[in-house]
Amino acid sequence: MAEVAEEQEINDVDLVARTQDGDPRAFDDLVRKYSPRLYGLVYNMTSNHEDTNDLLQDIFSKAYRSIRGFKGKSSFYTWLHTIATNMTINFLKKRSRTRGLSLDDVDNGIHHDPDFIEMTSGPDARREVNLKELQTRLNEAMMKLSNEHRAVVTMFDIQGMPHAQIGKILGVSEGTVRSRLFYAHRQLQNHLQEFLIP
Amino acid sequence: MNSDVHKLLRLKRYEHPTPDYFERFIDEFHDRQRSELLRQPAWKLAWERLVDSLPDLRVPRLAYAAVGAAAVAVSALILISQQDQGLPATTLALNDPRPMVNVLPPGRGDVRLPVSSRSDFPPHYVLEARPVSYESPYSF
Repeated sequence: MAEVAEEQEINDVDLVARTQDGDPRAFDDLVRKYSPRLYGLVYNMTSNHEDTNDLLQDIFSKAYRSIRGFKGKSSFYTWLHTIATNMTINFLKKRSRTRGLSLDDVDNGIHHDPDFIEMTSGPDARREVNLKELQTRLNEAMMKLSNEHRAVVTMFDIQGMPHAQIGKILGVSEGTVRSRLFYAHRQLQNHLQEFLIP
Repeated sequence: MNSDVHKLLRLKRYEHPTPDYFERFIDEFHDRQRSELLRQPAWKLAWERLVDSLPDLRVPRLAYAAVGAAAVAVSALILISQQDQGLPATTLALNDPRPMVNVLPPGRGDVRLPVSSRSDFPPHYVLEARPVSYESPYSF
Protein backbone atom coordinates (compact mmCIF):
# COMPACT_ATOMS: atom_id res chain seq x y z
CA MET A 1 0.00 0.00 0.00
CA ALA A 2 2.78 2.42 1.01
CA GLU A 3 4.81 1.35 -2.04
CA VAL A 4 1.88 2.12 -4.34
CA ALA A 5 1.48 5.56 -2.76
CA GLU A 6 5.21 6.22 -3.15
CA GLU A 7 5.12 5.13 -6.80
CA GLN A 8 2.16 7.41 -7.43
CA GLU A 9 4.01 10.29 -5.79
CA ILE A 10 7.07 9.76 -8.03
CA ASN A 11 4.79 9.65 -11.05
CA ASP A 12 3.17 12.93 -9.91
CA VAL A 13 6.56 14.60 -9.44
CA ASP A 14 7.48 13.69 -13.00
CA LEU A 15 4.15 14.89 -14.42
CA VAL A 16 4.35 18.15 -12.47
CA ALA A 17 7.94 18.78 -13.64
CA ARG A 18 6.94 18.17 -17.25
CA THR A 19 3.95 20.51 -16.90
CA GLN A 20 6.19 23.17 -15.40
CA ASP A 21 8.50 22.74 -18.41
CA GLY A 22 5.54 23.52 -20.66
CA ASP A 23 4.21 20.07 -21.64
CA PRO A 24 0.39 20.39 -21.52
CA ARG A 25 -0.11 16.63 -22.11
CA ALA A 26 1.51 15.96 -18.73
CA PHE A 27 -1.14 18.14 -17.10
CA ASP A 28 -3.86 16.24 -19.00
CA ASP A 29 -2.58 13.08 -17.35
CA LEU A 30 -2.87 14.76 -13.96
CA VAL A 31 -6.43 15.85 -14.80
CA ARG A 32 -7.34 12.29 -15.87
CA LYS A 33 -5.82 10.89 -12.71
CA TYR A 34 -7.38 13.27 -10.22
CA SER A 35 -10.69 14.36 -11.75
CA PRO A 36 -12.75 11.39 -10.45
CA ARG A 37 -11.43 11.90 -6.93
CA LEU A 38 -11.84 15.66 -6.96
CA TYR A 39 -15.28 15.24 -8.50
CA GLY A 40 -16.25 13.16 -5.45
CA LEU A 41 -14.87 15.79 -3.08
CA VAL A 42 -16.71 18.70 -4.71
CA TYR A 43 -19.91 16.76 -5.46
CA ASN A 44 -20.29 15.57 -1.89
CA MET A 45 -19.77 19.10 -0.64
CA THR A 46 -22.24 20.75 -3.04
CA SER A 47 -24.78 17.93 -3.72
CA ASN A 48 -25.16 19.43 -7.16
CA HIS A 49 -23.78 17.96 -10.39
CA GLU A 50 -23.81 21.19 -12.46
CA ASP A 51 -22.06 23.21 -9.75
CA THR A 52 -19.51 20.40 -9.39
CA ASN A 53 -18.78 20.41 -13.11
CA ASP A 54 -18.25 24.21 -13.18
CA LEU A 55 -16.15 24.19 -10.04
CA LEU A 56 -14.00 21.31 -11.23
CA GLN A 57 -13.20 23.25 -14.40
CA ASP A 58 -12.28 26.29 -12.26
CA ILE A 59 -10.14 24.16 -9.94
CA PHE A 60 -8.05 22.56 -12.69
CA SER A 61 -7.78 25.88 -14.46
CA LYS A 62 -6.47 27.51 -11.29
CA ALA A 63 -4.10 24.59 -10.68
CA TYR A 64 -2.72 24.87 -14.21
CA ARG A 65 -2.11 28.60 -13.86
CA SER A 66 -0.48 28.16 -10.44
CA ILE A 67 1.60 25.05 -11.07
CA ARG A 68 4.79 27.03 -11.62
CA GLY A 69 4.50 28.14 -7.99
CA PHE A 70 4.25 24.54 -6.75
CA LYS A 71 7.59 23.85 -5.06
CA GLY A 72 6.88 20.32 -3.87
CA LYS A 73 6.80 21.17 -0.15
CA SER A 74 3.68 19.01 0.09
CA SER A 75 2.58 16.26 -2.28
CA PHE A 76 0.80 17.34 -5.46
CA TYR A 77 -2.24 15.42 -4.16
CA THR A 78 -2.39 17.58 -1.00
CA TRP A 79 -1.74 20.80 -2.94
CA LEU A 80 -4.51 20.07 -5.45
CA HIS A 81 -6.99 19.02 -2.75
CA THR A 82 -6.23 22.22 -0.82
CA ILE A 83 -7.07 24.32 -3.89
CA ALA A 84 -10.25 22.28 -4.46
CA THR A 85 -11.44 22.52 -0.85
CA ASN A 86 -10.77 26.26 -0.54
CA MET A 87 -12.47 27.05 -3.84
CA THR A 88 -15.48 24.88 -2.99
CA ILE A 89 -15.91 26.45 0.44
CA ASN A 90 -15.63 29.96 -1.08
CA PHE A 91 -18.17 29.01 -3.73
CA LEU A 92 -20.60 27.64 -1.12
CA LYS A 93 -20.33 30.82 0.95
CA LYS A 94 -21.47 32.83 -2.08
CA ARG A 95 -24.06 30.34 -3.36
CA SER A 96 -27.71 30.92 -2.64
CA ARG A 97 -29.01 28.74 0.17
CA THR A 98 -32.14 27.97 -1.84
CA ARG A 99 -30.22 26.07 -4.52
CA GLY A 100 -31.68 22.57 -4.79
CA LEU A 101 -30.05 19.16 -5.03
CA SER A 102 -28.95 17.83 -8.40
CA LEU A 103 -27.86 14.29 -7.74
CA ASP A 104 -25.97 11.74 -9.82
CA ASP A 105 -27.33 8.23 -10.27
CA VAL A 106 -26.47 5.63 -7.68
CA ASP A 107 -24.25 2.87 -9.05
CA ASN A 108 -25.88 -0.59 -9.05
CA GLY A 109 -22.83 -1.83 -7.16
CA ILE A 110 -24.49 -0.58 -3.98
CA HIS A 111 -26.71 -3.69 -3.99
CA HIS A 112 -23.61 -5.81 -3.39
CA ASP A 113 -22.20 -3.62 -0.67
CA PRO A 114 -22.10 -5.52 2.67
CA ASP A 115 -23.25 -2.47 4.65
CA PHE A 116 -26.19 -1.90 2.33
CA ILE A 117 -27.12 -5.59 2.41
CA GLU A 118 -26.95 -5.55 6.20
CA MET A 119 -29.15 -2.50 6.32
CA THR A 120 -31.82 -3.76 3.96
CA SER A 121 -32.02 -7.49 4.71
CA GLY A 122 -31.47 -9.94 7.54
CA PRO A 123 -33.10 -10.15 10.96
CA ASP A 124 -32.17 -6.63 12.07
CA ALA A 125 -33.05 -4.90 8.81
CA ARG A 126 -34.02 -1.38 9.89
CA ARG A 127 -36.65 -0.81 7.25
CA GLU A 128 -37.49 -1.29 3.62
CA VAL A 129 -35.07 1.17 2.10
CA ASN A 130 -36.01 3.08 -0.99
CA LEU A 131 -32.68 3.82 -2.62
CA LYS A 132 -33.71 7.18 -4.04
CA GLU A 133 -35.10 8.24 -0.69
CA LEU A 134 -31.94 7.16 1.12
CA GLN A 135 -29.81 9.13 -1.34
CA THR A 136 -31.93 12.25 -0.95
CA ARG A 137 -31.96 12.02 2.82
CA LEU A 138 -28.20 11.48 2.99
CA ASN A 139 -27.56 14.53 0.80
CA GLU A 140 -30.04 16.68 2.70
CA ALA A 141 -28.41 15.69 5.99
CA MET A 142 -24.98 16.54 4.60
CA MET A 143 -26.17 19.95 3.45
CA LYS A 144 -27.32 20.74 6.98
CA LEU A 145 -23.69 20.62 8.17
CA SER A 146 -21.46 23.69 8.02
CA ASN A 147 -19.10 23.80 5.03
CA GLU A 148 -16.08 23.00 7.20
CA HIS A 149 -17.77 20.01 8.87
CA ARG A 150 -19.02 18.72 5.51
CA ALA A 151 -15.50 18.92 4.10
CA VAL A 152 -14.16 16.74 6.91
CA VAL A 153 -16.99 14.20 6.61
CA THR A 154 -16.54 14.01 2.83
CA MET A 155 -12.81 13.42 3.06
CA PHE A 156 -12.92 10.97 5.98
CA ASP A 157 -16.17 9.01 5.70
CA ILE A 158 -16.76 9.04 1.95
CA GLN A 159 -13.26 9.29 0.50
CA GLY A 160 -11.45 7.38 3.24
CA MET A 161 -8.60 9.84 3.83
CA PRO A 162 -6.62 9.58 7.07
CA HIS A 163 -6.95 12.35 9.69
CA ALA A 164 -3.39 13.59 9.14
CA GLN A 165 -3.94 14.06 5.43
CA ILE A 166 -7.20 15.96 6.01
CA GLY A 167 -5.41 18.17 8.53
CA LYS A 168 -2.73 19.04 5.96
CA ILE A 169 -5.31 19.85 3.29
CA LEU A 170 -7.37 22.07 5.58
CA GLY A 171 -4.37 23.57 7.39
CA VAL A 172 -5.65 22.44 10.81
CA SER A 173 -4.42 19.98 13.45
CA GLU A 174 -5.45 16.33 13.59
CA GLY A 175 -7.24 17.14 16.84
CA THR A 176 -9.38 19.71 15.06
CA VAL A 177 -10.21 17.18 12.35
CA ARG A 178 -11.28 14.62 14.99
CA SER A 179 -13.40 17.11 16.91
CA ARG A 180 -15.11 18.32 13.72
CA LEU A 181 -15.84 14.70 12.81
CA PHE A 182 -17.26 13.97 16.24
CA TYR A 183 -19.56 16.99 16.10
CA ALA A 184 -20.63 16.29 12.49
CA HIS A 185 -21.43 12.63 13.24
CA ARG A 186 -23.57 13.65 16.18
CA GLN A 187 -25.53 16.04 13.97
CA LEU A 188 -25.89 13.47 11.19
CA GLN A 189 -27.08 10.87 13.66
CA ASN A 190 -29.99 13.14 14.57
CA HIS A 191 -30.90 13.77 10.93
CA LEU A 192 -30.60 10.13 9.83
CA GLN A 193 -32.16 8.48 12.87
CA GLU A 194 -34.62 6.36 10.87
CA PHE A 195 -31.83 4.64 8.91
CA LEU A 196 -29.78 3.79 12.01
CA ILE A 197 -30.13 0.99 14.57
CA PRO A 198 -32.37 2.21 17.41
CA MET B 1 -16.42 7.73 15.69
CA ASN B 2 -20.01 6.69 15.12
CA SER B 3 -19.64 3.54 12.98
CA ASP B 4 -23.32 3.37 11.92
CA VAL B 5 -23.19 6.91 10.56
CA HIS B 6 -19.83 6.11 8.98
CA LYS B 7 -21.27 3.02 7.21
CA LEU B 8 -24.23 5.02 5.96
CA LEU B 9 -22.04 7.83 4.62
CA ARG B 10 -19.77 5.37 2.84
CA LEU B 11 -22.73 4.48 0.61
CA LYS B 12 -22.40 7.90 -0.97
CA ARG B 13 -19.37 6.53 -2.86
CA TYR B 14 -21.86 4.86 -5.21
CA GLU B 15 -23.13 8.20 -6.50
CA HIS B 16 -21.33 8.72 -9.82
CA PRO B 17 -21.67 10.76 -12.97
CA THR B 18 -22.17 8.77 -16.19
CA PRO B 19 -19.09 6.79 -17.34
CA ASP B 20 -18.27 9.05 -20.31
CA TYR B 21 -18.40 12.17 -18.13
CA PHE B 22 -14.65 12.34 -17.42
CA GLU B 23 -13.61 12.07 -21.08
CA ARG B 24 -16.02 14.86 -21.99
CA PHE B 25 -14.69 16.79 -19.01
CA ILE B 26 -11.15 16.89 -20.36
CA ASP B 27 -12.37 18.09 -23.77
CA GLU B 28 -14.36 20.85 -22.08
CA PHE B 29 -11.28 21.72 -20.05
CA HIS B 30 -9.20 22.18 -23.22
CA ASP B 31 -11.87 24.40 -24.78
CA ARG B 32 -12.02 26.48 -21.67
CA GLN B 33 -8.23 26.89 -21.46
CA ARG B 34 -8.11 28.16 -25.03
CA SER B 35 -10.93 30.66 -24.52
CA GLU B 36 -9.40 31.81 -21.22
CA LEU B 37 -6.08 32.56 -22.87
CA LEU B 38 -7.85 34.68 -25.45
CA ARG B 39 -9.91 36.54 -22.87
CA GLN B 40 -7.35 37.31 -20.14
CA PRO B 41 -5.24 40.46 -20.40
CA ALA B 42 -1.48 39.86 -20.25
CA TRP B 43 -1.06 41.89 -17.04
CA LYS B 44 -3.51 39.60 -15.22
CA LEU B 45 -1.64 36.47 -16.24
CA ALA B 46 1.67 38.08 -15.22
CA TRP B 47 0.24 39.17 -11.86
CA GLU B 48 -1.13 35.69 -11.13
CA ARG B 49 2.25 34.13 -11.92
CA LEU B 50 4.00 36.64 -9.65
CA VAL B 51 1.63 35.90 -6.76
CA ASP B 52 2.06 32.16 -7.27
CA SER B 53 5.83 32.45 -7.27
CA LEU B 54 5.79 34.04 -3.80
CA PRO B 55 6.32 31.65 -0.87
CA ASP B 56 3.17 29.99 0.37
CA LEU B 57 2.67 31.67 3.74
CA ARG B 58 -0.26 30.93 5.96
CA VAL B 59 -0.66 34.33 7.61
CA PRO B 60 -3.25 34.21 10.38
CA ARG B 61 -6.02 36.79 10.28
CA LEU B 62 -4.91 38.11 13.67
CA ALA B 63 -1.61 39.16 12.09
CA TYR B 64 -3.48 41.32 9.60
CA ALA B 65 -5.49 42.82 12.47
CA ALA B 66 -2.29 43.53 14.45
CA VAL B 67 -0.65 45.23 11.45
CA GLY B 68 -3.82 47.27 10.89
CA ALA B 69 -3.94 48.35 14.54
CA ALA B 70 -0.25 49.30 14.47
CA ALA B 71 -0.83 51.42 11.34
CA VAL B 72 -3.72 53.25 13.04
CA ALA B 73 -1.62 53.84 16.17
CA VAL B 74 1.33 55.23 14.17
CA SER B 75 -1.00 57.52 12.18
CA ALA B 76 -2.55 58.79 15.41
CA LEU B 77 0.91 59.48 16.91
CA ILE B 78 1.99 61.43 13.82
CA LEU B 79 -1.20 63.53 13.93
CA ILE B 80 -0.78 64.26 17.64
CA SER B 81 2.88 65.23 17.23
CA GLN B 82 1.96 67.59 14.37
CA GLN B 83 -0.70 69.21 16.54
CA ASP B 84 1.84 69.58 19.36
CA GLN B 85 4.22 71.38 17.02
CA GLY B 86 1.42 73.79 16.09
CA LEU B 87 0.54 74.70 19.69
CA PRO B 88 3.57 76.86 20.61
CA ALA B 89 2.79 79.20 17.71
CA THR B 90 -0.68 79.85 19.16
CA THR B 91 0.79 80.26 22.60
CA LEU B 92 3.37 82.67 21.28
CA ALA B 93 0.67 84.68 19.58
CA LEU B 94 -1.33 84.83 22.79
CA ASN B 95 1.70 85.83 24.81
CA ASP B 96 2.91 88.32 22.26
CA PRO B 97 3.57 91.64 24.06
CA ARG B 98 2.95 93.65 20.91
CA PRO B 99 -0.40 95.47 20.53
CA MET B 100 -3.09 93.35 18.79
CA VAL B 101 -5.62 94.39 16.16
CA ASN B 102 -8.78 92.62 14.92
CA VAL B 103 -8.19 91.75 11.25
CA LEU B 104 -11.85 90.91 10.45
CA PRO B 105 -14.42 93.59 9.49
CA PRO B 106 -16.60 94.81 12.37
CA GLY B 107 -19.30 92.35 13.33
CA ARG B 108 -17.63 89.39 11.52
CA GLY B 109 -15.80 87.97 14.50
CA ASP B 110 -12.63 88.55 16.41
CA VAL B 111 -9.28 87.37 15.02
CA ARG B 112 -6.46 89.38 16.55
CA LEU B 113 -2.95 89.57 15.15
CA PRO B 114 0.00 91.52 16.52
CA VAL B 115 0.68 94.88 14.93
CA SER B 116 4.15 94.92 13.37
CA SER B 117 6.35 97.84 14.25
CA ARG B 118 8.55 99.50 11.66
CA SER B 119 11.59 97.81 13.08
CA ASP B 120 10.09 94.35 12.32
CA PHE B 121 9.72 94.86 8.55
CA PRO B 122 11.12 97.77 6.55
CA PRO B 123 8.33 99.45 4.58
CA HIS B 124 7.88 98.47 0.94
CA TYR B 125 6.02 100.36 -1.76
CA VAL B 126 5.16 99.59 -5.35
CA LEU B 127 5.55 102.36 -7.90
CA GLU B 128 4.50 101.68 -11.49
CA ALA B 129 4.64 97.95 -10.83
CA ARG B 130 8.26 98.20 -9.60
CA PRO B 131 8.79 97.46 -5.93
CA VAL B 132 10.89 100.00 -4.12
CA SER B 133 12.17 100.11 -0.57
CA TYR B 134 14.45 102.02 1.76
CA GLU B 135 16.89 99.11 1.71
CA SER B 136 19.98 99.52 -0.41
CA PRO B 137 19.89 97.43 -3.57
CA TYR B 138 22.07 94.33 -3.86
CA SER B 139 23.23 95.18 -7.35
CA PHE B 140 24.35 98.31 -8.96
